[in-house]
Amino acid sequence: MAVTSSTLTEKPHAAELPRAEGASVMVDGWYMPPPEDKDGRLWQRTTALVQAEPVELYEAWRDLRSIPLWQEQVVSVTETGASTSHWVMRTDTSSDKTVEWDSEILADEPGKRIAWRTIGGDVDQAGEVIFEPAPKGNGTFVTVLQEFKMGKLASMWETFVGRNPKQAVIENLRHFKAFAETGEIPRTQGQPHGPRGTVGDMKKGMYGEKIPTPPGSSVGGVS
Amino acid sequence: MKAVCWMGKGNVETLSVPDPVLLNPHDAILKITRTAICGSDLHLYDGFIPTMEAGDILGHEFMGIVEEVGPAVTNLKRGDRVVVPFTIACGSCAFCKKKIWSACDNTNPNAQLMEKAYGYSGSGLFGYSHMMGGYAGGQAQYARVPFANVGPLKIESDLPDEKVLFLSDIFPTGYMAAENAQIQAGDTVAVWGCGPVGQFAIASAFMLGAGRVIAIDRIPERLALARGLGAITVDYSEKDVDVLTALKDLTGGTGPDGCIDAVGLEAHSNELQGFYDGVKTALMLETDRPIVLRQAIQAVRKGGTLSIPGVYGGLLDKVPFGAAFGKGITMKMGQTNMHTYMKPLLERIEKGQIDPSYLISHRITLDDAPAMYKVWRDKEQQVTKIVIDPWATAVQADASRDPRVARGGVQ
Ligand SMILES: NC(=O)c1ccc[n+]([C@@H]2O[C@H](COP(=O)([O-])OP(=O)(O)OC[C@H]3O[C@@H](n4cnc5c(N)ncnc54)[C@H](O)[C@@H]3O)[C@@H](O)[C@H]2O)c1
Ligand SMILES: [Zn+2]
Ligand SMILES: [Zn+2]
Repeated sequence: MAVTSSTLTEKPHAAELPRAEGASVMVDGWYMPPPEDKDGRLWQRTTALVQAEPVELYEAWRDLRSIPLWQEQVVSVTETGASTSHWVMRTDTSSDKTVEWDSEILADEPGKRIAWRTIGGDVDQAGEVIFEPAPKGNGTFVTVLQEFKMGKLASMWETFVGRNPKQAVIENLRHFKAFAETGEIPRTQGQPHGPRGTVGDMKKGMYGEKIPTPPGSSVGGVS
Repeated sequence: MKAVCWMGKGNVETLSVPDPVLLNPHDAILKITRTAICGSDLHLYDGFIPTMEAGDILGHEFMGIVEEVGPAVTNLKRGDRVVVPFTIACGSCAFCKKKIWSACDNTNPNAQLMEKAYGYSGSGLFGYSHMMGGYAGGQAQYARVPFANVGPLKIESDLPDEKVLFLSDIFPTGYMAAENAQIQAGDTVAVWGCGPVGQFAIASAFMLGAGRVIAIDRIPERLALARGLGAITVDYSEKDVDVLTALKDLTGGTGPDGCIDAVGLEAHSNELQGFYDGVKTALMLETDRPIVLRQAIQAVRKGGTLSIPGVYGGLLDKVPFGAAFGKGITMKMGQTNMHTYMKPLLERIEKGQIDPSYLISHRITLDDAPAMYKVWRDKEQQVTKIVIDPWATAVQADASRDPRVARGGVQ
């Protein structure tokens, strides 16, 4: 006997889903999936459990000048006003080519949330980070939602750096967490090895090992 | 410095490479005084673990003298003698706080590679592929040790290196394997594999109260060592021996309370099953040869426990999961949570309850290592454990060879 069932997306008796606000992963007890990529706009949501208080993590993220310590390829962030800043980013691991843009903070809730968007320059993106206590005092959930247009940054990033820009969002949160929890970012660049040969060298590119690990608190010796 | 480098499948070379330097504030640089070759290194040698790069420095079992420490290292200083755990743990993440050290969140710079394969990344490991962090290993004259506040165990007594070196991996691994078997006083425990991990699992099972231990292997000198520890041995390669029947016979038809797979993904078999897995792994349709795992699931008693220290890397074929479910068994496994066991096991060594150096059959130089990898893989020369003195010349290494090694006419 053939069993016919309605498709999984067809739910005649279900109530209308609430709409997600910003980076949140749940609303009114509903899990919220991340936004879908559409019309040339890409989204990446990523989340990490960090052993620190929300307010400490908020302050670390809000400290714009220290961003080059933990975000990949960011050379400098300069404050240009109460809520605006100028960003310079290296796009090529083997030369000094950069892209630059200005950014504006749209929401700033101490200990809870920061939202931003670009306001000119080579890059068109917006993002939000929220800091929420994990259940039972087990640390803080840090959730980032980043939206970007496939523009100059995204394509240069992928061509020269070999890192999908979505993966860069994930890696940056990973670096942020390691830096916050341990005071350093784990690294192997600069350690000894024997001759890599062409295949070994190719593999380094494939594994994303050619992207310089952000400095964190490194003590030098890094090549 | 000199270091043993992986240069491709089946190809290991001792090469001159730059000395390591401090890279992060919690790093220490160690001058290595003793290091060993592990059964796990064979999975790299034989090409079973992906993401190795030519030039990678091998080795994850090592100890030495602290040469230099980074500015944030507070509990070690130049001149301290330490044993280093093969898993790298940060000490501050949620997993380290729960003492699941080998699941540390913050020590694998290539976490995304492991996330893609396994869903989540475990901790970084020394000398064990780029998926596991790409850290340079310890079969060398010097090594960089990250998170030196958390991992290295200081040896303050004058115990010789050889008695404490195996705290770097195989003794804690065998011990955790026995602990994971959830042994109750008087239990019967079966251990597959009488290599170093199996040996320490057998010894630890007795320490934890096992009434009977059954050891399974085919290599005479390893079975002899197991009998020396008090185990009953089963040689699976004898043509009239069927392991499952043997285990029933030795347990009144019940099956062992606990089963320990100390063999892992390169299990050997002369049966059709082995041929089947050989063909499938050669064709890349299967990554591991789970012969022992299949047997252990079949063998363990109803409601029993299966402990798996043997390494598996990928996709396994024809695992009798129905038997596992049908009998309601428990399975425990994983990379060893080293940091939990090193100190208590050092105390057991200090009290003279065990002398791990009994396992050593070969003492070699770094230059000997490439040839000895082959010997180790093929289990030739009655090899039971190889220890490297990274500073010895050929003559010195020979002179320091322990007379006990002469047992069974080695060399
Ligand atoms: N979980 C961990 O953290 C951890 C740490 C260290 C080692 N290991 C793993 O433990 C395993 C054993 O390590 P080792 O150093 O003792 O290796 P080893 O290669 O010296 O020993 C393996 C033994 O298994 C025997 N064997 C092979 N096929 C068998 C079979 N079908 N039945 C019974 N015995 C069989 C071999 O003859 C050999 O004596 C390896 O997989 C290694 O990678 C895991
Ligand atoms: Zn090992
Ligand atoms: Zn950790």
